[in-house]
Amino acid sequence: MAALFKKDWFGLLIVVIVSGLAIAVLKPAFLSPFNLYVLMVSISYMLIIALAQMIIIAIGQMNLSVGAIGGLVAISFSGLMEVQQVSVPVAVLIGLIIGMLCGFLNGYITVRSGISAFIITLATLYIFKGINLGITEAEPFYNIPETVKNFGNAKIGNTPIPFLIIIPIIITFLMWIFMNRTETGRHMLAYGNSVQSAELIGISSSKVVITAHVISGFLAAIAGMLVVCRLQLGTPNIGDSWLLPSFAAPVIGGAILAGGKVDVIATSLGVLIVAIISQALVIFKIDPFFVQIFLGVMILLAVFVNRYREYKQEARRKIFSSE
Amino acid sequence: MNEFCLEISSANKSFPGVKALDQATFQLRKASIHALLGENGAGKSTLIKIITGVHKQDSGKLIINGKEETLNNPNDATKFGISVVHQERNLIRRFSVGENLMLNNMPKTALGLIDYNEIAIQSKKWLKILDLDIDPNTLVSDLTVAKMQLCEIAKALSLKAKILLLDEPTSSLSPQESKILFSLLKKIVREEGVSIVFVSHKLEEVFNICDDVTVLRDGQNACTSEDIKNLDRQKLVRLMIGRDEQIVKSTRKNQNTKDTILALKNVKTELGHKNINLELNRSEIIGLYGLVGAGRTELMKCLIGQDKITDGEVIINGKKVTINSPKSALEKFKIGYISEDRKKEGLILIHNVLDNTSITVWSQIKKAIGFVSDGMISKKVDPYISQLEVKTPSNYQLISNLSGGNQQKISVAKWLAAGTDILIIDEPTVGIDIKTKAYLHELIIKLADDGTSIILISSDMPEMISLADKIIVMNNFQMNGIVENNHDYDSVSSKIMEYIHT
Repeated sequence: MAALFKKDWFGLLIVVIVSGLAIAVLKPAFLSPFNLYVLMVSISYMLIIALAQMIIIAIGQMNLSVGAIGGLVAISFSGLMEVQQVSVPVAVLIGLIIGMLCGFLNGYITVRSGISAFIITLATLYIFKGINLGITEAEPFYNIPETVKNFGNAKIGNTPIPFLIIIPIIITFLMWIFMNRTETGRHMLAYGNSVQSAELIGISSSKVVITAHVISGFLAAIAGMLVVCRLQLGTPNIGDSWLLPSFAAPVIGGAILAGGKVDVIATSLGVLIVAIISQALVIFKIDPFFVQIFLGVMILLAVFVNRYREYKQEARRKIFSSE
Repeated sequence: MNEFCLEISSANKSFPGVKALDQATFQLRKASIHALLGENGAGKSTLIKIITGVHKQDSGKLIINGKEETLNNPNDATKFGISVVHQERNLIRRFSVGENLMLNNMPKTALGLIDYNEIAIQSKKWLKILDLDIDPNTLVSDLTVAKMQLCEIAKALSLKAKILLLDEPTSSLSPQESKILFSLLKKIVREEGVSIVFVSHKLEEVFNICDDVTVLRDGQNACTSEDIKNLDRQKLVRLMIGRDEQIVKSTRKNQNTKDTILALKNVKTELGHKNINLELNRSEIIGLYGLVGAGRTELMKCLIGQDKITDGEVIINGKKVTINSPKSALEKFKIGYISEDRKKEGLILIHNVLDNTSITVWSQIKKAIGFVSDGMISKKVDPYISQLEVKTPSNYQLISNLSGGNQQKISVAKWLAAGTDILIIDEPTVGIDIKTKAYLHELIIKLADDGTSIILISSDMPEMISLADKIIVMNNFQMNGIVENNHDYDSVSSKIMEYIHT
């Protein structure tokens, strides 16, 4: 039990359960099948977007171009199917490759130039977005194949669970294994903790940084294509609003932007909290402006809680060392 | 067979403006503990960086196990079994002890995933060599500093290190913890055949555990692989501080004023100083002498209000005062501090000459709305820049493009411009060539003659004896004694040495 308390995600889990229960008691409509369905749909792509940002936070960098990559992949995916008549699996494959290429470009330029990823991805954000607008001429692709549309609308049996959510669940699981059980994942965290130490141990910076950016691009690509399934069309503005939420969930989940500390489970719960609260405010018919304010307060709270816990740990260590 | 596992012969290394190593030689015997000593700037860290592949020597040989080798980066050094335990800890704080030890060779399961049970088992082996009773699953951030230090050594051993460099390993350890560390070091030398290069300023430690000693001074060998049995403290200190340099005969004019400008009475500080008493007269140069770590810089930082004085009195111009911050030290009490670390604390490297020189005077010359023009600044600081003969193409040159000596002149000019009454000058000539050094010495004397009172911190004995009017010897955050300086090197230096050892 004591071990549970030490976990980053434990407090968040309690927040999710308590807030979920409280809302359900006050407004039973919260648990209606339709509402749960909407909730899970929004979680499904937000989760992947958050993980795409989280892996870059893990190495102590930022990826401002997550949304631009997602958007570029989304319109490439729908455009290939509509204009080029490419089959769905091939379009998915090409979409993933584009995402990974974009990520590779981010990582490669960052490593080779030694300039901060913040600046590099700020530049590529505009490049990717520009390509997007050049291809689409700001017009959406409407002719999405039925199979894709059906996938976006399908539910599992008679439950309100959207089919879409299977993909983020699998990805979250794989990401957990990657960050906790693979050497590459651990090296990323070590690098995020201290670039200098990591290099002294013989961890290759370029490998770590490029791999993280490629994975980030891969995840952004999946999120982009999921949104196409969900919207049933490929609009050029997909991804425009991803950037800030992509940071919100990992930060609520205790991630430190300086790097080296991220948690897949806590990030997922962060997504859940943001989604539940946004949904609740809708149910309570609260002005949408408040959603923003609420999100801001959530982030502040999360950061304060983490700071306080660190402070406590520090105090505990001081007591130990004075023994 | 060669008895040395590591040898550096006649290595030279220059950095812009400084010759860091001048024909330096170093020989490490197998399974021995070798002390590498020298004052700040003597070339120790350059030598270590050559051994660990961070720098490459300009000329000279690096011989590992009898073969000449080239190290291009720290990774190469690791391959030859050379590992360094830095003052800054190189553990990943949020990882467990076990994971840290095995980080670049993690055991895996059949599926290719990390096997944490195996990590615990394998890392225990290394912890056991050091008699460390730590659960490998403990997070590093939960360890005490001493245990982190030992884990670093365990990590180095797990990298199959045969040559271990320890840079000031006891600087943050208690005496008890240091004792444990030393018995472990002796053990790994005896049982694992590891050779250790030990860098420390604490001479008692050197006598306690080292077999051989190499002393560097101004980048040259003051002694090479001397058997510790042939040395005593006195000899070692003399080797470190040297006495070859010529003493500038002081030509002070008016040093006999009895106008006390600053007095400290029974001062205690939060950093651990006790019973500090000193009096500084107008136009006087007081020297603070001591080995590194004696608490001299720290005392001055308390005086200017960066750290707290907890007890005792500070009296300026006859009035008891409290100095809360470096800002009020400068503006209210006209005390300036020229940092020993001019790159980090003294100058803003990416700003130009004008901005750096004028930083202390902005608040004096700004107009009502806080507006400061370059013209106003130039008028104020130009006389000082030219008085100090700063060699710069223009006032708009970036500080980082100037030589070390000129950078130091800018540091001084900055405080001159501020019109300070008391100037604290910390290690003014470290890493500065002889010519500029002589010039800075003349400058300090001239400043004092013109009425500024100076507190000079220096580890350079000849510099101290040529400049100071009286010398306060510090050790371990206390004053051991005051020596009236008659500028006779032999008598004064032996008095200073006596005080260091009491």
